[in-house]
Amino acid sequence: MANIFPRWTNLLPIKIAICLGSLAFGVVIAFSYYATPKTQRVGYMPDQPIPYDHELHVKQLGMDCRFCHSFVEESGHANIPTADRCWTCHQHVKTDSEKLVPLRRAIDETFEGYTGDPVKWVRIHKSPDYVFFDHSAHLSRGVSCVSCHGQVNEMRTVYQAKDHSMGFCLDCHRSPEKHLRPLEEVFNLDYTAKNYVETNPEFQQAVFGSDYDATASEEVVQEKVGTFLKNHWDVQPKESCATCHR
Amino acid sequence: MSKRKWQHPEIPAGDATTKVWRSAGELEDTPGLRQWLEREFPRAAETMIDEDDRETSRRSFMKVMGASTALAGFGLASCRRPEELIVPYVNAPEWVIPGKPLYYASSIPAAGGAVPAVVTNYQGRPTKLEPNRIHPGNDGHSAFAQASILDLYNPARSRDFLNKGQKVSRAAAEKQLAELTASGKVGFVFGEDDSATRTRLRGELAKKFSAAQFYSYEALAGAGRKASNEATFGAGAEVVADFSNAKCILSLDSDFLELDKQGPVKGYYDRRHVNGRDYSKDAIKNQKNLNRLYIAEPTYSLTGGMADHRAPVAPSQLGRFLAQLANELGVSVSIPGGKFTGKKEKWIKECAKDLAKNRGEAVVLLGSRYDKELHDLAHLVNVKLGSYGKTLNAVKTQKAGLGSAAQLVADVDAGKLDTVILLTPANPVLESEALKNALAKVKTVQLGLRLDATARAADLHVPAAHYLESWGDSFTSNGVYTIVQPMILPLYDGVSELELLLSFLDGKLHNSKVSKVSPAYTAVRKTFDSVVNPVTGAKAAEAAWMKLLREGFFAGSKYALVSVAPTPATPSLKALAEPSAKALDIVYTTDGSVFDGRYIDNAWLQEAPDPISKVCWDNAIYLSPETAKELGIYEELVELEKKGAAWWASLGFDDRDLKKSDVPEEGEGPSLFAPVAKIKVNGVELEAPVIVAFGMAANVIAISVGYGQGYDENFASEFKSGGIAYSQDSKDNVSTVGLNAGFNAYPLRGGVDYFAQGASIARVENGATYKMARTQEHHSMYGRALAREISTAEDKVYHRDYEAQIKNVQKQGMDSHAPMNMSLYKPEDRDGKPLLSDKSQQWAMSIDLNVCNGCNACLVACQAENNIPVVGKVQVAMGREMHWIRMDRYFAAPDNDQYKADADEWEKSPEMIPQPVACVQCEAAPCETVCPVNATVHTEDGLNAMAYNRCIGTRYCANNCPYKARRFNFFDYNKRNPLIHKNLYKGPLGVKQEGDSKSLQRNPNVSVRMRGVMEKCTYCVQRLQSAKIDAKKLVKKEALAASGGSTKAAITAEKLMPKTDAVRVACQDACDAGAIVFGNLLDPKSMIRRVKDENNKIINDRAYDLLNYVGTRPRTSYLARVKNPNINMPGKEYVGKATIHMH
Repeated sequence: MANIFPRWTNLLPIKIAICLGSLAFGVVIAFSYYATPKTQRVGYMPDQPIPYDHELHVKQLGMDCRFCHSFVEESGHANIPTADRCWTCHQHVKTDSEKLVPLRRAIDETFEGYTGDPVKWVRIHKSPDYVFFDHSAHLSRGVSCVSCHGQVNEMRTVYQAKDHSMGFCLDCHRSPEKHLRPLEEVFNLDYTAKNYVETNPEFQQAVFGSDYDATASEEVVQEKVGTFLKNHWDVQPKESCATCHR
Repeated sequence: MSKRKWQHPEIPAGDATTKVWRSAGELEDTPGLRQWLEREFPRAAETMIDEDDRETSRRSFMKVMGASTALAGFGLASCRRPEELIVPYVNAPEWVIPGKPLYYASSIPAAGGAVPAVVTNYQGRPTKLEPNRIHPGNDGHSAFAQASILDLYNPARSRDFLNKGQKVSRAAAEKQLAELTASGKVGFVFGEDDSATRTRLRGELAKKFSAAQFYSYEALAGAGRKASNEATFGAGAEVVADFSNAKCILSLDSDFLELDKQGPVKGYYDRRHVNGRDYSKDAIKNQKNLNRLYIAEPTYSLTGGMADHRAPVAPSQLGRFLAQLANELGVSVSIPGGKFTGKKEKWIKECAKDLAKNRGEAVVLLGSRYDKELHDLAHLVNVKLGSYGKTLNAVKTQKAGLGSAAQLVADVDAGKLDTVILLTPANPVLESEALKNALAKVKTVQLGLRLDATARAADLHVPAAHYLESWGDSFTSNGVYTIVQPMILPLYDGVSELELLLSFLDGKLHNSKVSKVSPAYTAVRKTFDSVVNPVTGAKAAEAAWMKLLREGFFAGSKYALVSVAPTPATPSLKALAEPSAKALDIVYTTDGSVFDGRYIDNAWLQEAPDPISKVCWDNAIYLSPETAKELGIYEELVELEKKGAAWWASLGFDDRDLKKSDVPEEGEGPSLFAPVAKIKVNGVELEAPVIVAFGMAANVIAISVGYGQGYDENFASEFKSGGIAYSQDSKDNVSTVGLNAGFNAYPLRGGVDYFAQGASIARVENGATYKMARTQEHHSMYGRALAREISTAEDKVYHRDYEAQIKNVQKQGMDSHAPMNMSLYKPEDRDGKPLLSDKSQQWAMSIDLNVCNGCNACLVACQAENNIPVVGKVQVAMGREMHWIRMDRYFAAPDNDQYKADADEWEKSPEMIPQPVACVQCEAAPCETVCPVNATVHTEDGLNAMAYNRCIGTRYCANNCPYKARRFNFFDYNKRNPLIHKNLYKGPLGVKQEGDSKSLQRNPNVSVRMRGVMEKCTYCVQRLQSAKIDAKKLVKKEALAASGGSTKAAITAEKLMPKTDAVRVACQDACDAGAIVFGNLLDPKSMIRRVKDENNKIINDRAYDLLNYVGTRPRTSYLARVKNPNINMPGKEYVGKATIHMH
């Protein structure tokens, strides 16, 4: 009886297995790259009703974060400014700008398109409903805005800079020293540990003793500073679920 | 492989002096009950019959899973991030911080005194009530007060003006109001609460309408007591008890702790605390300050459960009891029906002696709804005891000049009134035939929150504003002037009582849509400035007003005392025949869930099990087991509670070999179906289910009023083997919550207030049974000595005095025999770091059974705080209620052979002991080790936390929980309305309730759980987290202010500790008794440290751990109950022995 299957089919099962295997592997790789917050969230930059420019307000005009996000030290939520907060300046400044029309609609009763409807900003940083993140807790312990939101002071249009995945949270909760800084510097988005240490000799003495190495990298200095503050302030970030989920 | 069973240790020999039970089925120890006990959840998901079935199920499960995984792929294509908006205010309101609650002082106006409250308000949304702890009249909260916030968000609330049930426009209604009051012959019917502004407006209304009459009416407010008080002390007088001075209390059928308040009860609990309210006192030294409570009552009340001596007395015989007692105390009055003799005589004599011995510190309280004559006699007794001015204060309220319901009927009949304006929270058309007939003769305007029978019958129904939407003022029982502040604009444009009254004065009805400022605000302000606090100068007045708003009360205000010595004439009492099996006494009790019927649409209260009978969503006829036996109902009851002994026998199983699948599909639970009986009294009949109630007087029927307000076609399906005749006419009078709930006893009540004689009861001919959801055997625990009790009197069996008994508390039950537990858990993790690593806080709780009366306030408070869903009667019957705290209630009595031969029925009255059980936060938690996904893990500060988003619903944890403290979401109770007939079983086709007004009540700091998720108590972790964060904020402020900057400031674990006892959990806050103590074990100043030390070791001798021998090291400990019996009383040897040996 003749062979039904030709000789070349002998390797077929292995080939199929390799194909399927690499396909599955590819799917896993693709999923873990494309379907995670790192890809899905970072860089999200929606159009806002008013193209508010953080770079202009913070970097050039020198406004503090808390001027607009006024309750960030009090509340879990970092509030978006109310219309009257914007209006305190903008009833005097750039009143006729096209960009401010949504604001004037909300609050300027003399404006012909006045409706009284609030400005509807688009949410950029969103954590799931079962995550109870508290801004004030982090600011109270020396974690800066920059650590989670990036250099907002250099953003002309705000976008999500960090992925805010659970792994991102845990990285910092496991080694907070990479982010801790003096409480006075929390809202200083241009802070660098090196700069701070070099301008505060007393602090430098406390952290490094007399062997501060001016050539050390920023990371190394930050880690030293952070470790010092962590011990000095008894910072013990929790890793148990109830810290954020309840 | 057969399942391995944990062999629970046997009861130590010689220790079995007490028999304990929760139901008749348990008392008779039936196989059905054993089956029930051994299961984690009654009929849960296990419907597999045998191995074959299990195999096919697994296969079909894989099939379904495969298909759904494949389908899931299609969904991904449209996976885009939805755009979400942030909408800030245009103009930032003062004080509002997004994400932070605001707290306002307000109060709940109520008969018998306003309940001061602090309202939690999230961005204009009231979510939770707490007692106002700085208020001098603060008396904690009842379950009613806690649940009243749900009434605000009831989606079925009245929103329209109705004319005879037909919707009319606001303009038409305003016109009609003017027409109806044109003649001036107007009767105003208020509730039994008291308000200064209302009194002021009453004067103005009397000026405007010269023929106006004023009345007050609530169905169960106690007409007899009121009449007696007014006759003795003058119009508007009330007598308020002061328990802080009362050392010896006799209650004659007065549930003065809960449903029949006669004054603030804080003082009672203060004196009941063995170690003082702050646990700082030594139990032995404090013994002389303990109060003693005697009670005589026909059916168990919560106050009765707290009593040291309790006599079950039929209501008709209570006059006889009181007269005999009065004679013992030197008030000469003829005893109607002759003296009680034998041991009963001794009971009364010794009680009288004790009262007389404590002259000036004694008080006799009589149930409010007894007749005036009896109250007159009680007054005389209290005069003899020197109570007035010490334990009783007669005060002058502002209710003088308000007529009674009887006067209203008389005035209508005499033609004095054209229009009656009903402002009372009562429902007269349901409650009283006489009032219903009288109101039919005149035009009626009714203001109400619900579309009840009265609202539908009224010529004009005005939708009312809830008290959380209204300006007003009120008085506490002692007359502290208290503000009622609105927390939110009326949701459905309701009108408040004051606004309606004002509209009669100025002809304009306030519309909250048009003008935000209510005229009631101006009126209350005017009352405050002109009557309550007349000061000179606008600035001083403004300051006083602001203080009033901030604190909620006006300091120093109180009712004037009536100083006239009361001397009512000695009443002549009518002799009433003793009840017999042919002519029973029937008592119409106040309901623990719906009160007088006003809360029938409140799902939290309906689902909270009745504190005594543990019935949810229904009322029932209560009979004592003896009476039930005599009537031939008991056997059937026990049979039914057993789920039919014959049925079990026919299966041929030994009770230990039953398989799970043998539990019948319906009829789960030993006490699911109750026999239906027919009561007949004064020619009126009622068919309702019967349940056996323990501790009742013989030949007495008790049924609570307020239920049975509306039925639809589905009600018939609640019955088996025939049903009862019912009418669907009134189904619109209730919402889906109150529909098909219970049986209406108001028609039986007829013209009497409290009890009637000559009732008969018989099983209905068709043998119908009725499905009842009773939680008494749900989540039962195995084990030994769950609730423990000792006595101040010497124990004659073991020869232990009070001190020795306290020392022995921790050795009760198994704990004296079980060896020390060796924990297999290591206290450190792999790196050697301690697991309970938090150096700033370790949380713990203690629950003092001595002051807990089992009132359900904690249970409802927890429901409000933690977004706990309601599941409905059908699901409760399956044991799927979601309450994180369950209120166990045990009856206990000595075994029959322990009684002396001559013990009579007063001595044999069983004791009742409640025990709230929530998750006890074991340090060595059995649930944690079995979770395959680590969804329940320990926190560093000692909580057994739940990560709901991680839970996949295996229910292993609940299986492994010895305390049965875990609850599982079998359905999406939050998403799909479980109260609509069979709605949960319709899957995606069912009616949804997402986003209806109830969701406005939700606490934003707690996840709303979905289907398939396990949940349980986590010590209000949201409150703990916010306290920790607040501590961090404080430290930050300090550090920034430190010289040299924050880097100089050392922050230590001690500094990060929240302020001592500043964190209060929801159940603790609601408890007026102070039974729950919660705090930080690491804080040496904290109150919990007087019960436990920093290592969670018990240091108060009276404290013990539940199921200690299992070795779970719980963070919640209990303190044993202490009875304070009179050693001369008959039956004293049976008191204080209710330690629970469940088996």
